[in-house]
Amino acid sequence: MEYGYYPGCSLTGSAKKLDRGVRRICEKLGHSLTEIPDWNCCGALEYGDRNELLSISGENLRKARGMCKEIVVPCPACYKNLKDADPDRSFNILSPLELLNPGNLSQIGQKRDLKGKVFFPYYGCLLMRPEGSAIRNKNIMEDAISAFGGDIDGEKMRDRCCGGNQLFLNKWATEKLSNLILSRSRGTVVVFCPFCHMAMKTFAVGRKVIYLTDLLLYVMGENNSL
Amino acid sequence: MKEKDHEIVFKHTGYRREDFSVCVGCKICASVCTVNDLDIAVNPQELLLRLFLGQEIGKEDPLVRYCTSCYRCAGACPWKIRIPEVVRAVKESLGMEALFEKAFKKSLNIWGRVYEPFVVVMAAPDLLKGGYIKHMPKWMEYAGFHLPHKVKRLKPLNASEGLDPSEKGRS
Ligand code: SF4
Ligand code: SF4
Repeated sequence: MEYGYYPGCSLTGSAKKLDRGVRRICEKLGHSLTEIPDWNCCGALEYGDRNELLSISGENLRKARGMCKEIVVPCPACYKNLKDADPDRSFNILSPLELLNPGNLSQIGQKRDLKGKVFFPYYGCLLMRPEGSAIRNKNIMEDAISAFGGDIDGEKMRDRCCGGNQLFLNKWATEKLSNLILSRSRGTVVVFCPFCHMAMKTFAVGRKVIYLTDLLLYVMGENNSL
Repeated sequence: MKEKDHEIVFKHTGYRREDFSVCVGCKICASVCTVNDLDIAVNPQELLLRLFLGQEIGKEDPLVRYCTSCYRCAGACPWKIRIPEVVRAVKESLGMEALFEKAFKKSLNIWGRVYEPFVVVMAAPDLLKGGYIKHMPKWMEYAGFHLPHKVKRLKPLNASEGLDPSEKGRS
């Protein structure tokens, strides 16, 4: 399939690793991604003015018009904003997670398994809520981990908020919220959101924090370690 | 924030004062709110009620200070009221934006994209005071050098043109 691609600001900066992973996995699944030309920021979670936020996000959709109908958007904040800016659903806005399903996981070419390892699949907020803009396959991380033989822990914490967007405003708040989640789960933390990655990474002691794409690349034999 | 400033919140969120009369006071929003884990005094419903009644809203309100925009409330509310957007609008009209948020928007105004090194440098005074230095070793993987990219076609952000007025307030 051919998709438009909206990386968003963090995937060209602090979350470059997620960008590389998404591109590689899409390639493996036989999808081609074409970046929306000259895209701009989606507004993230910074704008108090909804109209301004939607017009910034909407600008990206204008740039994508005529080029594609389906847009892959990895960052959960961008994903939500782009969906909100398109109330008529003239585009099919997809998280890369929605390109995965238990059936096509085998197509990525498994070279290693995850037997004996424990993982905590952590989705955070914006992939799961609000219902109108959430991903459809809400168990995909669990499905992927179990498909390759890994064990799962911390189910109850999977959609709690890590407070990632308060990290540079009220650090103690993020620390408290992240620690709550970490203390009630075990194993390697698997995330998809750049905010969650940063918050978890900052406060996790003695635990690894990885993107789901890192895990898949490991299974494919391309990442040497987890 | 006094009653006259409430208008800014309505303008920013696309809600009208009377839209908040649908709130049934069930407090589901308060019971699921993430800020509950930080401060038991949070109550999104009270914030909406204050806006509806035209009462004063203070900067000290824990919800206004710590809301994480997690949308738990909006997902659980029977009316799907977009509470985090209301909170963000309140913050903006109270002039509570932190240095980090200002830097973020400034970057967007200059380049149309967020250029993270710029945001970090602009917000440095807050970051230095806030004890972030000790996290630096863990953040090394985020560091990297690249030049900013300037977006060509983005209109100035404060140009009010953009959305069709009929689209305002749609969720
Ligand atoms: S979005 Fe804000 S008000 Fe709503 S549940 Fe999350 S922290 Fe509470
Ligand atoms: S959940 Fe919705 S209806 Fe219930 S108190 Fe909160 S805002 Fe009002």
